[in-house]
Amino acid sequence: MIARNLLRIGAWARLPAALGLCFGIILTTGCVTSTVDEMVFNEPVEGIGDATVVILGRRHASDYETEPDFIDCVGKHIASRDNSITVISELDFVNSLYPWFEPRTAPLHPADIERLLQQRPVAQRLEELKTEYMIWIDGATVQSDSTGTMTCGIGPGGGGCFGFGTWSNDSDYEAVIWDFTDRAEVGRVNTTATGQSYMPAVVIPIPIIAPVQGTACDGIGEQLLQFLSAEY
Amino acid sequence: MSPSVIFAPDMRRLYLAMILALLAGCGPTQVKVEGSFPTPLMEPLPLKMGVWYPEAFRNHEFFDDAKSRGESSWVVDTGEAQVAMWDTLLAGMFKELVHMKGMPAPEQMNPVVDAVLIPYVDELQYSIPQHTNVKVYEIWMRYRFALVTTGGQPIAEWTMSAYGKTPTAFLRSDQAAVNLAAVMALRDAGANFATGFHRVPEVAAWRESRRGGKARPATKTTAEGASPGGRQP
Repeated sequence: MIARNLLRIGAWARLPAALGLCFGIILTTGCVTSTVDEMVFNEPVEGIGDATVVILGRRHASDYETEPDFIDCVGKHIASRDNSITVISELDFVNSLYPWFEPRTAPLHPADIERLLQQRPVAQRLEELKTEYMIWIDGATVQSDSTGTMTCGIGPGGGGCFGFGTWSNDSDYEAVIWDFTDRAEVGRVNTTATGQSYMPAVVIPIPIIAPVQGTACDGIGEQLLQFLSAEY
Repeated sequence: MSPSVIFAPDMRRLYLAMILALLAGCGPTQVKVEGSFPTPLMEPLPLKMGVWYPEAFRNHEFFDDAKSRGESSWVVDTGEAQVAMWDTLLAGMFKELVHMKGMPAPEQMNPVVDAVLIPYVDELQYSIPQHTNVKVYEIWMRYRFALVTTGGQPIAEWTMSAYGKTPTAFLRSDQAAVNLAAVMALRDAGANFATGFHRVPEVAAWRESRRGGKARPATKTTAEGASPGGRQP
């Protein structure tokens, strides 16, 4: 009985800490505004069966590069919501078809697939992989409008920071869906997201980060899921 | 014996270690390029190809052109990765790949092969975000290839460029990013070579002459700037 009371007291004692943690999580997440545009044709209403999907990043631009983490995030978003969809990892796909999907050699138009398939080893590998849809994502998340100052110091008695910083993050991604069987483009999904992050510092800096890239990932992932999945 | 006498050698060692640590912090950032390179997915060309990596290629490293090796802020060792990438690529591209024992020459004893490929890195440039304010790390290389007979007679010579870049990422160090950009540049070099080898005019002529069964005259040909950039054989 005493032990049970102690446990109960312990649970009550931990409540403020738990509430503080929840409050902290809410406080440390900035706000994000997101827009998604979609245009798709020939949706596979019965799902894609045992075929596979590959999501690849476009890496042709000189001043930015579609982040591999973003591609991974979109793939995980789709596979976790509908586990009947097999999403091949970008690196595995590109490695297994090297050198045909490097930035220099990757097909730019659906018609280029025909030319690739004229090579027997490439056609065989793609047949083994059962790739039905190839999704190309192009875009990046950039940081802009950073302002504010922060000063940090350290002395014999301790250290700390004082100041305030803020910056904006903007994501802009476009996914183009290619149907491998018909060698045709069957959809485009565009997502933009903007968010402002803050970092006030009174002794300890407290980052309040806007999850801009994560929101863009969820937005584009959800639309692709609706296209590919029979359940959504 | 006083305590100061007992501890003095230890303190000297400590000071020495501290000075060495400080000096190490002042030196250039060293990166040894490491990565894995996939085998190319293609029908191997029916050639018994030899390869010879010159010493400068095997131990290739780069640093700022304007400075000496010691003054440069970056020293990037690509030699081992170059050899690993080209070995994997060439073994997949040709029916048989043979490593030469020495630089092909009339007096050099070497295995008999159809031709010997000798790669050189003529130029390498890099940029990091601190240089350009663009949030990508970039590496650009220009290769020169010599295709010669076992006896060292020139068949073809051409140049080829390769480019690799990688974006900045949270918690990724400059060294890791430069390594990744170098790996991307090496992959691009492999892709460029694999898709463009047959397009080099002198190589195409040499292969055609082999198919025709003619003895190929050993004349030096140059295809400077024959950057293939092609997509399909």
